[in-house]
Amino acid sequence: MKRLTQLRRHLRVILVAAEMSLRNNLTDGFVIFGIVIQPMIIALMAFWMLRDQGPDDIIYIVVGSGMTGLWTTTLFIGGQAISGERWTGTLEMLVATPAPLHIVVIGKTLANVLQSLSAMVATYALAGLVFGALPTIARPGWFALALLLTVPAYVSFALIIAPLFVLNPEVRRLQNGLEFPVYILSGFLFPIALLPGWTTPLSYILPPYWAARALHGASSGGDVADILFSMAMMMLSILIYGLLTARLFRRILYKARVEATLVRQ
Amino acid sequence: MKELLRDLGLNVRIFFQGAYLSYLALFAWIRPPHYIATKVVGPVFYMIFFVLMGAYVAGRNDPSFYVIGNAMQTAALSGVFGVSMSIDGDRWGGTLIYLFGSPANRLALFLGRAFMHILDGVFGVIIALGWGLLIFGLDLSQTHLPALALTILITVFSTAGMGLMLGCLGLITRNVMLVNNTIFFLLFVFSGANVEIGSLPGWAQAVSSIIPLTRGIAAARLLIGGESLAAVGPLLWGEFLVGAAYAAIGFLMFRQFEIIAIRRGTLEAF
Repeated sequence: MKRLTQLRRHLRVILVAAEMSLRNNLTDGFVIFGIVIQPMIIALMAFWMLRDQGPDDIIYIVVGSGMTGLWTTTLFIGGQAISGERWTGTLEMLVATPAPLHIVVIGKTLANVLQSLSAMVATYALAGLVFGALPTIARPGWFALALLLTVPAYVSFALIIAPLFVLNPEVRRLQNGLEFPVYILSGFLFPIALLPGWTTPLSYILPPYWAARALHGASSGGDVADILFSMAMMMLSILIYGLLTARLFRRILYKARVEATLVRQ
Repeated sequence: MKELLRDLGLNVRIFFQGAYLSYLALFAWIRPPHYIATKVVGPVFYMIFFVLMGAYVAGRNDPSFYVIGNAMQTAALSGVFGVSMSIDGDRWGGTLIYLFGSPANRLALFLGRAFMHILDGVFGVIIALGWGLLIFGLDLSQTHLPALALTILITVFSTAGMGLMLGCLGLITRNVMLVNNTIFFLLFVFSGANVEIGSLPGWAQAVSSIIPLTRGIAAARLLIGGESLAAVGPLLWGEFLVGAAYAAIGFLMFRQFEIIAIRRGTLEAF
């Protein structure tokens, strides 16, 4: 009974934090750029680059370009879920509230990832505009399921990045250089088979890679076994990143409560 | 005559001091790792991304098209972001009011903001071409290198012209980074860095013809392919004129915003 009450409280905190983040993000020019403008520009470029406009190519570009928006906002907005509080001077208060810090950050990143899914809607609509007809998703059921798993997979990844950026400001300064490497390693707009073999393990540890593989497979009518495998890998990465997140947040709270150095830049 | 020379000396000093200080001011918040990630490491990754995307989506297996296009696109990092941030940085830093209150020559002040970024941009393009040589084996054996250097300089100048204009927008809007980012990504498409200009729809080709980079990228591709400076002369003149036109529009906007801001007392209103 006590656990159920606690779960309800956590859910409420997640929803409230998500709502606050959504409201903030709606007026943020960079968020608008990341989830609408940039993916649409990349999609437009890819449409014009297309050698022959087969339906599989179009849906591949729609999904891949949408995923670039998802990653860009996860990196720049989700990554600053904690450091943003430090800049606005609210981190100390957030750490001192009875609601656990990681629950608040889950709410914030969940809002960010859900909002970023509109990148895919934007590129889908653009494809309809450019080609005069909306592209077809070959396995809509599997696509919906993969999309459902993509959300926690990205949230779990953001939950690693956000505390890392706070604990290591030097890593955060490399943020601008991290956007395209993940586009490349995750195979958003080309298969990772085009990359040298030594980069493959790097792709495997990225949840966006498994999300892209599952979504590309489902949208282009790929093998169901491969889609299932990719979704299983997403679940595994959620578990592993969840455990890592717990350690990182313990470190943050230690810095805040014992060392009192959390708000130092 | 003596007075004229004194004024000229003063304006030259304002130009270089403003150039140096506004560039230095960016490093109050941009630290070396940030600079390296953005200007040195960043371009190599977007170059790799577009080379592979081109190979898969467009079926083009010659990386030099994308390597040259994206190396030249690096000019816009300094030209668009650096220059515009130097202009609107005065507003955010609270120094705009003093700047407009000073009797300093406005043209020297305004153009001075671009000077260091042009040098920095040339350096950035050279680094990006170096990545192209190292990773994709870009062949420069047929290239007239001084002509390529001139092309790079003119292209960076041209993007800086656009940056000066965008910086002025930063004086009247809060969302200048949204504008800058959008322009930077649009340049990837419309400048011909990643898509052949000839394969764009008519309206997009019209856009290409009035933006910086388009002619600079075309000239760089021709020069690396073995053409002479004389052959790319018209393209370089065109690129220079486009940049000069944007800078002139930017200066007119700068003067106009100054007059409006002083009249309305909204110089630092956000």
